[in-house]
Amino acid sequence: MKLVGTPARTRGINDRMTQSCQLDAECPVGRGVMARRFVLENGLRLISAIDKRAPIVALQTWFRVGSRHERPGATGMAHLFEHLMFGQTKDMPPGEFDRLVERTGGESNAATWVDWTYYRLSLPARDLPLGVRLEAERMQHLVLEHTPVESERDVVTNERRERVEDDVDGWLDEQLMAQAFTVHPYRWPTIGWMEDIRALSLPDIRTFYRTWYAPNCATIVCVGDFEERVLLDLVASHYGSIPPGELPQTASGLVEPEQTRERIVRAPKPIATDRLLVGYKAPGQDDPDWCVLEIVATLLAGCPSARLYRRLVIKSEVASSVDAQLTPFRDPSLLRLAVTAARGHTADEILGIIDQELALMTERPPQKAEVEKAKALAETDFWSALVDVDGRAEALGHYETALGDFRKVNTIAQRLAAVTADDVARVVRTYLRPERRTIVIATPESPDDESDDE
Amino acid sequence: MSKPVVIVEPSPDTPLVWFEIAIRGGASADPIGVEGLHRHAALLARRGAGTRDRAMLDETLDSLGAALDVGVSRDSIQLSGLALTRHLDPVVDLAADILAEPRFDEDEHARLLRETPQVLDEIRDDDSALATRWFDWLCCPGHAYGRTSLGTESSLAKLQRAAAIELWKREVVADNLVIGLAGDIDEATAARVVTRLLSRLPQTGRPAVTLAVPPSPPNGRRVILVDKSDRTQAQLRVGHLSIRYGDPDTAALAVGEAVLGGMFSSRLMQEIRVKRGWSYGAGCALRRSRLPHWFEVWMAAGIEVAGPAIALTLDLLADYAAKGPTDEEVDFAKSYLVGAMPFHVATARQRMQLAVRDAVFDLPAGFTAKLPEALGQLTAADVRRACATGIRPEAAVTVAVTTADHAQEALEAAGAGTLTVVDHDEY
Repeated sequence: MKLVGTPARTRGINDRMTQSCQLDAECPVGRGVMARRFVLENGLRLISAIDKRAPIVALQTWFRVGSRHERPGATGMAHLFEHLMFGQTKDMPPGEFDRLVERTGGESNAATWVDWTYYRLSLPARDLPLGVRLEAERMQHLVLEHTPVESERDVVTNERRERVEDDVDGWLDEQLMAQAFTVHPYRWPTIGWMEDIRALSLPDIRTFYRTWYAPNCATIVCVGDFEERVLLDLVASHYGSIPPGELPQTASGLVEPEQTRERIVRAPKPIATDRLLVGYKAPGQDDPDWCVLEIVATLLAGCPSARLYRRLVIKSEVASSVDAQLTPFRDPSLLRLAVTAARGHTADEILGIIDQELALMTERPPQKAEVEKAKALAETDFWSALVDVDGRAEALGHYETALGDFRKVNTIAQRLAAVTADDVARVVRTYLRPERRTIVIATPESPDDESDDE
Repeated sequence: MSKPVVIVEPSPDTPLVWFEIAIRGGASADPIGVEGLHRHAALLARRGAGTRDRAMLDETLDSLGAALDVGVSRDSIQLSGLALTRHLDPVVDLAADILAEPRFDEDEHARLLRETPQVLDEIRDDDSALATRWFDWLCCPGHAYGRTSLGTESSLAKLQRAAAIELWKREVVADNLVIGLAGDIDEATAARVVTRLLSRLPQTGRPAVTLAVPPSPPNGRRVILVDKSDRTQAQLRVGHLSIRYGDPDTAALAVGEAVLGGMFSSRLMQEIRVKRGWSYGAGCALRRSRLPHWFEVWMAAGIEVAGPAIALTLDLLADYAAKGPTDEEVDFAKSYLVGAMPFHVATARQRMQLAVRDAVFDLPAGFTAKLPEALGQLTAADVRRACATGIRPEAAVTVAVTTADHAQEALEAAGAGTLTVVDHDEY
């Protein structure tokens, strides 16, 4: 075990910064805000961005562990930790974490997705020391005992019921990923399969914690009203002595085989009209084509003048809503089209129109003005995401954790701004082909309905 | 005579400008039996204005990377804009067209009449939205907020284009607007924007809005089971008519709300989620509106514990109304609420939106931003008194969206009052 850093109480701050927090990279994140990355000797990364417009701080701890790091039969583990991490620690009784945060007026929350888990504290600026202390405490000293684990397991099963079992959109999403991916861990849901959530064992839970909740698997992101030297001092003193963990080989070597034929799943649900979710295989977020597909998604269904929206909802009135979303995953994922059928119309009818519109997009590619429109919307989205300290921290944390470099926040914006009409035509031809798609359809229940997997 | 209210919050940190234009009135002023009229008029106005039909308006806005969205609450119609600073002028011109020269095209009117029932379908497919819709309707029959802003199948059949045009003429007058601007805009530019937004509007004075006196809430508890097949949970709403946001007890009841269900460490979250794992979340809220509105508890309990969850909630409410929070709980909640205020006013957009909301509610300027001062002066006795009068478990209405075959018996035994079963697509 390697001890790094030096006890804060015995050294001057400049010495500590030099010895234990090394400035590693920097880039602007919005107007007048510079983000700087430091790395501690134990591998902990720290991204600092000072924004003194309000007396608050966003303190987020991002772990490079998500549902992709789980194994079949133990899905949902990463997400379960999103709950357990608010529990008892060596120095804090159950409930104390939330009470300490809420007494300040602050809030805490967490999120898990395929590539990451992150813990969010929003605190008054004066309470930054409390936040750093709490985060360091639970990174090292979480108490994982039977009773609180079982209680959170019940909560998670209810969360799953609310978001999947009783929510048709959650069910569609889960089925899409399960059918679209045959090898890659993206095939299981982040919340986990219900039977797995119920079966996760306490020893496995403890092992997961010891394995992944280590400083060399984490990035602290702090945005807001603070002095950088104070932050560095706090982080060095609370984290500097935590030894790095031995991180396992991740699943990054798993390559999903190329999809060569269309996959379709249908099931009856208690809904009023058909719902359709289509996923086309798309590259990971760091691939240059990802940004081109982001523009394509906007042109298809990302704005009121978008092609599919106009055709499906306004002109033909076969759908009541349509949405397009490109998932920001590290590995290749999906461009998804979600459509709700209008009364009296069917998912199959809608699929036919989607095919027509995609063919049109290939035959008569968007002209420059149409692409410029999507780029203007992307520019607005970029700035909108950086309006408050939480948004800035989330952007920095995501790119650092999912793509390995927080500076990608600007790279992605630059790539979006550089997309051309030719790029759009090329990626539509390359990616939006029927054999590369998976389709999930939910239809209104009737007494004689049966599952019909093709 | 009132004047348009204008709020400006400059902040050059991003090259964006937000604006909110609130047209006072809102869905609570829909004629009885013609629910959905304000929403219909607002959406129709957004679908073509000036020389541009819907397609041209959408295309122009999208090409600017901008957004102009309409929304309808019980108390106002909102036109919300977002523009890159360099495109602010043309976006403001489009907003001014929508306010002053909406086309109310006949074909868009007909299309919207076909579309809106499908929004009802979307709500029926979403258990949480469905629970809220039924709770709103049944919480206090006869209350203006009990009527749906979306409409019903029968009220939508009565919507007339002429009525929408008339509504717009009557309500979209300069003195009836609250205009908020925030972001990368200075005071001088904001003044020019406001002038352009108002210049073509009638200067006829704020229309009289009849503030319906809220009826007395019904006595006794009631429970409505909204029957939907294949549910594994029960989406629950429990509540009753309470005070107006802006009432002298607002600050005290905000503390009461925080202790009972406004924080993670609140009683409801601890009892329902942490101790029993019955629901992913549980909380309560006093709805902030111009008129007295609901005090409402929410959760999504597993269907097998829906009955006990309702019974426990009602017990917690009864205990809370009778004894109120402890001194320690009041201190904690005050600390939380005062400390949380900077998060609600951290950005220019947030400050503008809060100020617009206060103006729509006819509250003094800065009412919400100054709540921490009022909180600081509260005693625990003030909070207990406010809870005793503002929380009425004896009149609680419970709505449960769940599967009757599996939950009805338990709900009948929950002590929630007379149970009525309705089909989920009845309303």
